[in-house]
Amino acid sequence: MKITVSSYLSRRGAFLDTELKFGFREENWLKECYQQLEMDYPKFYKMDHLSKMAVLSTEIIKSGGILNGIQDDELELLFANANASQHTDLKFIESYEQQGNPSPSLFVYTLPNILTGELAIRNKWYGENTFFITPEFDETLFAERLYHSARKGSKLCLCGWVDSKLNAQSAVELEECFLFLVALSKEDTRNDSSSFAITLKELYTSYQASTLDN
Amino acid sequence: MGSNIYLSYGTLVSPIGVGTKENFQSLKSGISGIKKEEGSGFKQEDWYLSKIDSIRENRFDSLLELALSNLKESCSGELLGDQKTIFILSSTKGNIDNLPGDVFASARRIIHNATNNPNAVVVISNACISGVIAVNTAADYLRYSDFETAVVIGIDVVSDFVLFGFQSLFALSDEPARPFDKERKGISLGEACGIVVLSREKPRGFSVEYLAGASSNDANHISGPSRTGEGLFRVVGKTIERAGIGRSEIDFISAHGTGTLYNDEMESIAFNRCGLQQVPVNSLKGFFGHTLGAAGVIEVIACLLSMEHQLLLESKGFRETGTTHEINIVQHTQPASIRTVLKTASGFGGGNAALLIRQVL
Repeated sequence: MKITVSSYLSRRGAFLDTELKFGFREENWLKECYQQLEMDYPKFYKMDHLSKMAVLSTEIIKSGGILNGIQDDELELLFANANASQHTDLKFIESYEQQGNPSPSLFVYTLPNILTGELAIRNKWYGENTFFITPEFDETLFAERLYHSARKGSKLCLCGWVDSKLNAQSAVELEECFLFLVALSKEDTRNDSSSFAITLKELYTSYQASTLDN
Repeated sequence: MGSNIYLSYGTLVSPIGVGTKENFQSLKSGISGIKKEEGSGFKQEDWYLSKIDSIRENRFDSLLELALSNLKESCSGELLGDQKTIFILSSTKGNIDNLPGDVFASARRIIHNATNNPNAVVVISNACISGVIAVNTAADYLRYSDFETAVVIGIDVVSDFVLFGFQSLFALSDEPARPFDKERKGISLGEACGIVVLSREKPRGFSVEYLAGASSNDANHISGPSRTGEGLFRVVGKTIERAGIGRSEIDFISAHGTGTLYNDEMESIAFNRCGLQQVPVNSLKGFFGHTLGAAGVIEVIACLLSMEHQLLLESKGFRETGTTHEINIVQHTQPASIRTVLKTASGFGGGNAALLIRQVL
C-alpha cells in the first residue's frame, strides 16, 4: 500500500508531490487552473466546484503519464468529503426559492458522487467507485477501505478528499482537493494499513501547511 | 474468499408498514404506498408520492428514530452497542433541513444515542446505488476488519428539494410509477428506512449468505443511463465472477427499475447482454416509490422475504413489455423456488452496483 503520486489544489495553488506547480492570481482560480493546464474540455464549465476541482486535480496527477495504459476498469475511485454537495445544494435551493424555477442543471450536481462520474466520463474509467462522508479528513477510513480493496484484488486506487463549503453569507468558506494514487498488493497487511494512515495524515497536513506559507 | 457472512432482517419502516412483517403482508396483498399528493409540486401540481403520513415534523430524524426503536425489537441492545458492531448509513441527502449545516450530523448523533455504539458511523452517499454499496461495504468490514456485526441503515425522505429537482428534470410520472411497462412515464418519489444486519455468525433457522458484490461506472453521462447498459453489464459480470457461481444458478433478479423510459430500457439491455433475460425480475418502485438512498437496502430486505417465503413478488404497475429487449418481469405474486438472488442498482453519477446472496439450505 503505497502512494505513487499525490496532488493538492486550493485557491492558494496547484501542488504535485508536495511541490508547487503554479499559484493563482485571479478570482476565478478554477478557470485559471483550467487554462494553465491547457485543457480543452468545454464540459468543464458546466460542472460544479467539486467536479471542477476533481477533474483539474486528476489532470495534474496524470501529467507524469502514470495512468497511461491502465485497463479501463482497473482503477478504483475512493472519494470522501465532509460537506457532501452543500455548495450546490444551497445554489439549487436559491434557484427555486428566489429565482422562480428549480434549475435542472444545478440539481444534477446536488450529489457528491457526481464528481466521480465526471472523472469516469473524462477518462473512460469503468471501475469501482464509492463516496463517503466523514466529519473531517479521515485517514483511518481511507486506509481501512484501501486494505479491503487490496484484499479483494484491486491494484490501483485513486483516492480523493474534495470539499467545498459555503458560509452563512453564501461565500466560499473552504475549498480543497487532495488526491492520492495508491498502489495496492494482495500482500498488504493490517500493519501496512495502519502505517499508511499515519503517512497519509502527514502528507495531508503538509499540503495544508504549505498552502498557508504561500 | 474470506469467512462466511450472513444477512438478516433489521427492520423496514415504509408507507406500507412498520416492521418487515407488516411490509410483507402489504407486498403480498399488492398494496402500494404511492398516492396522489395534492399541491405537492413546485407550481402546486399533484404528484404521486409514497410518503409516511404519520411522520409530520423533523421527518428525517423522526423516521430514523422510529426505525432504530423498531430495530431494538429484533436486535439486543448489547449487540447494537458492542464495539465489534459497526453502523453504515446509506443516504443521498441526509437531513437537508439542516442546511447550510452538516446534513449527516443528526443521523450520526441519533444512531449513537439510540445504541451507545462507540464506533464512528460510516456514511455512504453515492446517489441511488448507495444502498447496495453500503451492504457491500458492510460485508468487507466483516470479512477483512475485526467487526462481527454490521448494521446497514438506508434512509431518505421526500422533500421539496428532491421533488422539485426531479420535476425540473421532467422525470416524475403523473400516475403511480410503472417500472418496465410500455406506458411508463417516470418515477414516483418515495421515503423509507430499511435496516439489514450482516453478521459473521450464522443465524438459527432461515439464513442467507452474502456471496459477493461490486460497483462500476458507465463513464457515459452524469444523469442519463448508458444506452448500452455498459456499467450494469460489467458490474453484474464482476459480481458473478467474484461469487464464483454460474449464471444459471441465479433464480431471481431484484432490479432497480425506476420507471423512467431510459433507465428501464438500459436495464433490459444489460440483463440481455448478461444472458439473464429468462430469469424472473421485478422492481419494487411501484410499491415503495423511488426511495433513493434507502432503495438498495429495502430491496435487499424484500429479497430476504422472497427467499424466506419462496414467493416471487409482483413488479407492481407492469402490464405490458415496454423495453426493446424483453426480460422476464414477474407479473403476479407467485410461489417459486428462490435460492440465489441478484440485486442491482443504477444511479446518477453513472454508478452501478450489484450483489449476490444465497439461502443456506
